[in-house]
Amino acid sequence: MKLQRGKLLVDPPASASSDIAFILIIFFLVCAAVQPETGVAQILPKTEEKKDKQDQSKNLEVSITPTSIVLNGSPLALPEFTQRITAALKQKTRDADRIVTVKSAPNTPYPFWIRVSQAIKQAGGILTLELESDRIINVE
Amino acid sequence: MKLQRKKLTASIPAFAMGDIGFLLLIFFVILARAQDDSHVRWQPANLKEADMVASPLASVTIDTGFKTYLDGKEISTDELAGALNNLLGDAPSGQRNVFLKVHKEAKASHFEPVIAAISEAGGDLIHILEPEEKAAK
Repeated sequence: MKLQRGKLLVDPPASASSDIAFILIIFFLVCAAVQPETGVAQILPKTEEKKDKQDQSKNLEVSITPTSIVLNGSPLALPEFTQRITAALKQKTRDADRIVTVKSAPNTPYPFWIRVSQAIKQAGGILTLELESDRIINVE
Repeated sequence: MKLQRKKLTASIPAFAMGDIGFLLLIFFVILARAQDDSHVRWQPANLKEADMVASPLASVTIDTGFKTYLDGKEISTDELAGALNNLLGDAPSGQRNVFLKVHKEAKASHFEPVIAAISEAGGDLIHILEPEEKAAK
């Protein structure tokens, strides 16, 4: 003779649904938020007005155009520039002497600029930007 | 003679708890997105030496239209230094990280004034770039 078992109905408790939803959302938020970013740090001296020309004349000067890099007057390609600036900065021991003044043409593309600035950083230079400031002078 | 009223009991249905919790979370997520700049469209430049970077106090982006954004809100370059100063506050040097996300087609005339503003505010500038190996894939 077979014994009939009573059927057990298992209902998930409704009060737990809030906890389940909460845990699920936290899980998806954490998954979405963890996106590590990559980049390079750049140390810049604080922006200030132009100092005396005499102080600046000691610094290395780099001009960047969309096609070339000019180091102290001589146009160079990036690999050559890297060698020359490394050699030039090797002899300098004081921080003040390692300042490299960079002046860029307005149409210099960002990827090229960042490569040049990285080459200066790796050579041990301290990058300083020389910006052209526009001033409006009202003449009465 | 006083008539006794039936006591009415009001209980919050347990079924609704899930929906209430869900809506509250959505509300807080939307609030948190106020500082998010994921809606700003830009493409990073590539560099071999790009490494993992620490989290920032502020994020400045130059988008595909060469407009400047501070923490996802459009801002002019003239106002940027002041706004960054407020955000960075008295944080010590080394903890004043500012992410700079420049669209790869931007020119010096777009990004140099922004770099100058970050420098003026005393921010520790971090260029956000993509490592070359990752870009090649």
